[in-house]
Parts: sequence; structure tokens; C-alpha cells
Amino acid sequence: MSGYALVAEGLHTYYGKSHILHGISLKVGEGKITTILGRNGAGKSTTLRSLVGLTPAREGKITVFGTETTKLPPYAIAEMGVGFVPEGRKIFANLTVEENLKVPVDRPGKWTIQTVYELFPRLQERRNNKGRQLSGGEQEMLSIARALLLNPKILILDEPSQGLAPLIVREVFRIITQMRAEGMSVLLVEQNVRMSLEVADWVYVLNDGEIAYSGTAADLQADEALLQSLAGVSAEKWEI
Amino acid sequence: MTQLILFNVMNGLIIGAFYALMAIGLSLIMSLSDVINFAHGGFLAVGAYLAYSLAPYIGFWGGLLVAPVLTAILGLIVEKFLISRVYGRDPLYSLLLTFGLAFIFEDGTRYIWGAQSLPYQVPGWLMSPLSSSFFFLTGYRMLMIVLIVAVVAGLFVIMTRTRLGLRIRAGTLDLETVSILGVNVRILRNLNFGIGIYLAGLAGVLAAGQLGLQPTIGDSLIMPSFIAIIIGGLGSLTGTLLGGLLIGVAQGITTVFFPSASEAVMYVMMALVLLVRPQGLLGEEGRF
Ligand SMILES: Nc1ncnc2c1ncn2[C@@H]1O[C@H](COP(=O)(O)OP(=O)(O)OP(=O)(O)O)[C@@H](O)[C@H]1O
Ligand SMILES: [Mg+2]
Repeated sequence: MSGYALVAEGLHTYYGKSHILHGISLKVGEGKITTILGRNGAGKSTTLRSLVGLTPAREGKITVFGTETTKLPPYAIAEMGVGFVPEGRKIFANLTVEENLKVPVDRPGKWTIQTVYELFPRLQERRNNKGRQLSGGEQEMLSIARALLLNPKILILDEPSQGLAPLIVREVFRIITQMRAEGMSVLLVEQNVRMSLEVADWVYVLNDGEIAYSGTAADLQADEALLQSLAGVSAEKWEI
Repeated sequence: MTQLILFNVMNGLIIGAFYALMAIGLSLIMSLSDVINFAHGGFLAVGAYLAYSLAPYIGFWGGLLVAPVLTAILGLIVEKFLISRVYGRDPLYSLLLTFGLAFIFEDGTRYIWGAQSLPYQVPGWLMSPLSSSFFFLTGYRMLMIVLIVAVVAGLFVIMTRTRLGLRIRAGTLDLETVSILGVNVRILRNLNFGIGIYLAGLAGVLAAGQLGLQPTIGDSLIMPSFIAIIIGGLGSLTGTLLGGLLIGVAQGITTVFFPSASEAVMYVMMALVLLVRPQGLLGEEGRF
């Protein structure tokens, strides 16, 4: 196995006085898809926010390709090649699609506005529409496209399939596996357990701000009882 | 009578353009940094006095060009070393800080240039009326209007055509997301503050030629500027521009028919807007 794109050790993160993450350690394999599962409020988003510098961990250490990023501001972490697709997409509703795509800084690489339009032709059709006029699926594509424009080496996504129609969810997962095929390292937080276990190489289950399970996706997939007890997966999540 | 009304409408438009210049800068800073810059009028005074001191060396036109830029640079420094330190804190901190800065600017200008008002020399040919029937239409007034229109148009181009402008607009909505896209938001806020202060400095230079110089030259402009933002809708540059001009013209017209109400009229307008359309005339929809 090759090295790790991102390594976090013993993260403790707080919102004000509330202690949310209690010593999270995780690794994102280079060129792999790593998934974090867990119930609502388990601390998945907080973990990602700590990794990208939005809610810095008070204790612990984060390295990206061997360089420590623990205390760096978000833009510096992004500039090292960490792309983030935040929970709820967070597209700029007051800007057009094309203007949204001009916000990220240029990092050299294959992804340009032209090539992301080729990946998401729908965005090109909608290029002059404001962000607020887009459907949920289009917003998700825009949010992914925006992160790709950084030409990231690591792509971090927080619940990209949330609230999307099954067909669009499939499309999102197809893009994620395509990114892995292109050599990107992916860290994925998902509620859609079945789909994410299908694409993931390695899985962490988070519970109350602690890692409750760490193993291969195949192992966890094989043990449905364990999955039920760890992630509280509801039956509907297995539909689609 | 027509001429009197025209005269006052014209006056109103000009004073309204000043409100708009001030208000747009205030609004940019408020939207991106959540800071209500009470020192804005102080920066305006600094711009005016800098032009006054530079004019003997580089002339009126040189002063007009350079003084706002120097004021903007002062703005960049003040933001970097003082204002940026209170970002993310309770708004009370930035209120106290900019309030204090306003006093420092006022006393500073008084200390350096004196308390008495100073005349600001505008080239003679600019001061004569364009025609005798429109005695109030001087070349200087035309210059002010042309310049303000050009600068506001330039600002719109920056906001809609440059990546800096796009990032500022994106940041007014969601600065956190701008930062994860690799944009250094410290620099973004700094530059945005500089743009706002440039507009204040320019307003100062132009106002000096019209009103003369006093340390308190910005005071009469700051309140109407805040009201222009509220009337136009916070976050909408077009709305803020419109708000400034509307207040100015309303004041001008009220001066003709009901002079004692010319101060109060903007508060009445604000109350009406807040009752009928609390988000401001172009608020929300017009969000630049
Ligand atoms: N801004 C905040 N301030 C205070 N507490 C917060 C904040 N954001 C989240 N929390 C709390 O931190 C805990 C973890 O939240 P987090 O958003 O990381 O969970 P999550 O696993 O992403 O949940 P979900 O599946 O609902 O997205 C929750 O108890 C939540 O209430
Ligand atoms: Mg979450």
C-alpha cells in the first residue's frame, strides 16, 4: 500500500466550551476512498471542518502529504491541494454559475472552467443562471466543480448525496470513483451507507466524537449486525 | 420658481452623490467585515486635507488623483493593524474601535491643519457658471458629477468583471466558503476596506472644493450615508447608490417648500421604507 495523503492524530475540537471531538485519529490513503459514517450529531462535519481549518482542533496534529497543517488557516490548507465540498453545498446564491467557478484560486492542473464544464455539461447550460436558481443536484455539481478547480490532491466531501434524487446520487458517486481513478485521494462523509460502502476502500465509524470502528469497507459490509449497532443505519438508507 | 426647484434638485443630486460615495464604501465594509465604520467621515477629512497639502506641489488635478489613493493606503494600514484584530468578536469591539478612530482623525487633523476652516483652491475656470440662466451649474459641479459617475461605474466593473470583485461579493454571503476555496480572506477584507476608504477619500477631495476644509467636514455626511444604506437595502450597491441620490434630491426639494424639514425628511423616508419594505428598496433581490 502506498502512503497516506492525510493523517490526523488525536484531534480534540470544541465549539466554544462544548467538547465535540475526543481524540479523533484517522488516515486517508493515497489514491483511495475513505469514508466516515456515523449518526446525526456524531461529529462527522466537525471532523472535516477541523481537517480543512475552519474549526481548528485545539489538540492533536494534522499532516497533509507529510506537511503539518494543524494551525494553518483554511486558505493555506486549500492551497496545499485540499478541496472541500461542504455540507449543504454552500454555493454562492448571488453569483452566476460561471462567477461561482471564478472564486477558487488557480492551482495548476487538468481542471479548468472548460474541463469542469465537460465533466458537468449541465453547468455549462446553466452558466449564466444565479446560484439560487439551481436545483439541488445542479448545486451539488457546482460545489464539486468549484472544489475541483483547485486541482486538489485530496477531495473532502460532506454528505454530497443529501437530499438528491437517486439518479443524481448515482451520478455523484460515479464522479467520486472517477476522481479516485484519476489518482485523487477522497475523504467522504455520507449518510448513504450502502452506496458509500460500495465505493469506499476504508471506513471509519464515528460515535459521539470518537472513532468507534475502523476497517475495510468489505469487512463492515459483510457484518450487517455490526453496521446496525455502530452506525444506527436505518432500513430506508439501504433503498436506492 | 422652476429655476429655484432645478437649483435645489441639482444641489440635492450633488449632495446625494456624496452620500452615495460614502454609503457605498460603508456598505462594502459592513457587508464583508461586519464592521460599522464610524471613522469613515474621518477618512474623508484626511482625503480632503491631504489634497490641500499636496496641491501646492502637484496642483489641483494631482491632488485629486493622489490624495484618495493615499487615503486608501492609510485605510489598508488601519485595517491591517487595528480593525482586523476585532473581526469575529462582539460587534461592540469594532464600534468602540471605529468610534475612537473617528475622534483620533478629527483631533489629528485639527492638530496638524488647525481648527479654523481653510479655503481649497479650485482652478478658476471650473468655478464660473456654464451659462447665466443656469448660474448654479458650474464646471466644478459638472466635474464632481462626472467623476462620481465614473468611479461608481468603475466600481461596478470591478464587482462584476474581476475576480477580486466576485470574491468580495461571494464573501459578503459566505466568507468561510470563500476561504476554503484557497482565497486569503485577510487580504480580501483588507483590499475591500481599501476600496471603501478610497471612495471616502475621493468624496473628501471633492467636498473640499465645494464646502472648504474643516476637521468635521465628514460629520454632516455620515448619518445620511447610513440612512442611504437602509433605504437602498444592505448588500445592494445599486440600492445604496439610489438611496443616496434619493435622500439628496428629497432634501433639495424640501428646502424649497418646507425648509425647516429638510433635515428631517430622510428620517421620514427611512421610516416609510422600513414600514413598507424593511429589506430596503433593492435589498435581497438586488443583492449585488
Ligand atoms: N456551530 C456549532 N456550535 C455548537 N455546537 C455545534 C455546532 N455545530 C455542531 N455542533 C454540535 O456538535 C456536534 C457534532 O455536530 P456535527 O455537525 O459535527 O455532526 P454530524 O455528524 O456532521 O451530524 P449530521 O449527520 O447531522 O451532519 C453536535 O452535537 C452538534 O450539535
Ligand atoms: Mg454533518
